[in-house]
Amino acid sequence: MSSVSDSKIRASVLVFYEEDILAISSVLDAFLKKSAARCALLVDKDGHMIAARGATDKVDLDTISALIAGSFAATRALAHQFGEDDFTALFHQGKSGNLQLSLVSDRALLTALFDDATTVGMVRLYATEAAKRLTALFRRKQEGGTPVNAATVDGKAFEEGTSGALDSVFGS
Amino acid sequence: MVQINFAQKEIQCKIVYYGPGMSGKTTNLEVVHGKVPEQARGELTSIATTGERTLYFDYMPLDLGQIAGIKTKFQLYTVPGQVYYKSTRRLVLQGVDGVVFVADSSAAKLAENKESLADLEENLKEMGKSLKDVPVVIQYNKRDMPDAMSVADLQRELNPHGLPHIEAIAKTGEGVFPTLKDLSARVLEAVNKGGLGSTRAKPAGAKPGEGAATVVAKAPTSVAAPRPSAAPSHAASGAPSRTPMPAAAAARAVPSFAGSIGAATAVAERPSARPTTSQPQVSPAAASHGEAYAPKSLQDRVVAVSGMSRSGPSGKLILLLVLGAAAAAAAYFVLVVR
Repeated sequence: MSSVSDSKIRASVLVFYEEDILAISSVLDAFLKKSAARCALLVDKDGHMIAARGATDKVDLDTISALIAGSFAATRALAHQFGEDDFTALFHQGKSGNLQLSLVSDRALLTALFDDATTVGMVRLYATEAAKRLTALFRRKQEGGTPVNAATVDGKAFEEGTSGALDSVFGS
Repeated sequence: MVQINFAQKEIQCKIVYYGPGMSGKTTNLEVVHGKVPEQARGELTSIATTGERTLYFDYMPLDLGQIAGIKTKFQLYTVPGQVYYKSTRRLVLQGVDGVVFVADSSAAKLAENKESLADLEENLKEMGKSLKDVPVVIQYNKRDMPDAMSVADLQRELNPHGLPHIEAIAKTGEGVFPTLKDLSARVLEAVNKGGLGSTRAKPAGAKPGEGAATVVAKAPTSVAAPRPSAAPSHAASGAPSRTPMPAAAAARAVPSFAGSIGAATAVAERPSARPTTSQPQVSPAAASHGEAYAPKSLQDRVVAVSGMSRSGPSGKLILLLVLGAAAAAAAYFVLVVR
């Protein structure tokens, strides 16, 4: 049993580094290969996308991530009405496309888009497995801490560039 | 909660328009959607009732372009204003990085404004935050209403904390851009101070994960080309009187953080002290392709599920021989031994 609880992961901030993303991508790729889902997204519960794999070219990832997080948040409130902490998995069925959501460590949502090339049972089976692997990854990250040395981005340039960027969108 | 993606060199922030019902939150978003440059805006999605009242939230992604080489994106949300949607507002507010509180200037709406503001404070409190922790700009909307209260009265009634405020007539677009621009500057200032800075190496004893950012490295998609910095001809019509810090001033007011952002640009060179052998590894090239996966046949997948491997003709022959030998042994036991 890990010493890091889901509640701690939920409450704290996660920082992902290259190796983390490689590991997440590897889990998502393995999931896609086994389940034959069309694409897989890992979405922060606040609505930001963390990683996406598979056929994502026709998908508006920003909007989908926001709606997925909203959908899950609403369903969680619904779960509370039934005395449940969560519905840890959700399934949305369409005519040709379907969506399977699985909770990862109470922090993120594994989302699989799939069609009739596979079945909901297959996707659910492997999504559960992938969610467990991602949860373990999150826990290891939580225990790992922050790297000691890291290079920098020019914060001064960011500070100076803010004004120009806002002017370009909103006018000066 | 702001997300910083150093692989895509991208920052994502969540901004929520809050306020009482019919105060003009959705109108603000519609004006932003209608007036920002096309390449900066995403689709405006609304989860609304048939009466066009916001049921859950309105949502629109907004791309500010690159700042110091970092693509900066905002996710704009509105909440439903009606009192009975309190739980929904809390859901939308989760992980917020900045709030525009849209108040109705009408004297008749003062009580609703106060109730909504208290509701915001309560919801932030439940998230462990306060109006002091989160950048908030108050927009006094509907300044053209006949019974509009004076700004001084509104300030006295609604703004005891001295939050920045802007006057607006959202339906004409007046004050909409200045509001969002001002809040954006404050949010990005907070990101620079807290979010990006928090990715720096922590001193010994710092708690793991401490800070305000989620940093992602090496995501599959490429960084968009920078947008020309020339100011477009879509400036908001008429900037009403306002007290908040203009964007340029806000940017100047940010303490010099040369060297603070980023720590995470070094993510690619992160020391390998932390073992990763337990993680399944893929090559960076393979990890970044993002192409569609060609599904296997159903037979292949079923075989994989059952944990069996398909055997060739020789495998089947061996299997038959083993079964035959077992049957012969059983017959010998029955007929001879007994």
